[in-house]
Amino acid sequence: MQEAVNLLFSNTETIPGMTITQSMGVVTGSTVRAKNVFKDIGAGFKNMVGGELKAYTQLLQESRNEALYRMLVDAQGRGANAVVNVRFATSSVAGGAAELLAYGTGVIVE
Amino acid sequence: MLGVILVALLSISPWLVSLFGTLLYQPAKKQKLLERESASATSGDPLSTLSKPFSGREIVKFQLVTANVVMSPSWVQLFIGGIVSLFGGEINTFTKVVDWARREAKQRLREQVAEAGFDDVINMRLETTLLTKNREKSAGVEILAYGTAIKY
Repeated sequence: MQEAVNLLFSNTETIPGMTITQSMGVVTGSTVRAKNVFKDIGAGFKNMVGGELKAYTQLLQESRNEALYRMLVDAQGRGANAVVNVRFATSSVAGGAAELLAYGTGVIVE
Repeated sequence: MLGVILVALLSISPWLVSLFGTLLYQPAKKQKLLERESASATSGDPLSTLSKPFSGREIVKFQLVTANVVMSPSWVQLFIGGIVSLFGGEINTFTKVVDWARREAKQRLREQVAEAGFDDVINMRLETTLLTKNREKSAGVEILAYGTAIKY
């Protein structure tokens, strides 16, 4: 599904053991996803007793990986070979759908 | 007469299920989490710092790690919370749920890091998002814990 993108990425300011020589600008990747209606109904039942909604946990995890992947593709397109200061943001845009955003600074490291 | 009783029983059954979940299911899950936490506490907490590592040792391997969890309060907790929010002040039932979710997310991060053989997590961040089902009803709250796992 996802082709391997071999970029270094980290949420620290630098890549350990390397020096940043050039900044290639802010790179972003995002996706909006919803679970199917049956999973929503299942989660609705789980709402009664409370606790973890596994379907949503899994959905958000998968979507976040997708957003991260898109961010890396963006970085590669800009000619960066690493992404530093990666941040995540999540918001629910409509009923049952969530937007996952991953952003960071694309850099060239040596 | 029997029909009325049957309808009444059916209509309160979700609330009984919810009460069961609040009083039995959730404490059992929390107990399990507590056991997992004390199991990983023996080897020192890898979630040590929110900034750079303190020791100046060389890092041989690093990786961005994330752990998330979606938690939802039960109907009973929502009901109690609704009543308490009329008066204002701390809403204890919600505090507990969110705190539980945050501990769960951090514990998952610890387990993931230990499994992959990393020593430490630096630059850890926590993030909270409310997930909504439709206009105003909330489906739950998502906690995301992420950071950079490092190996010396």
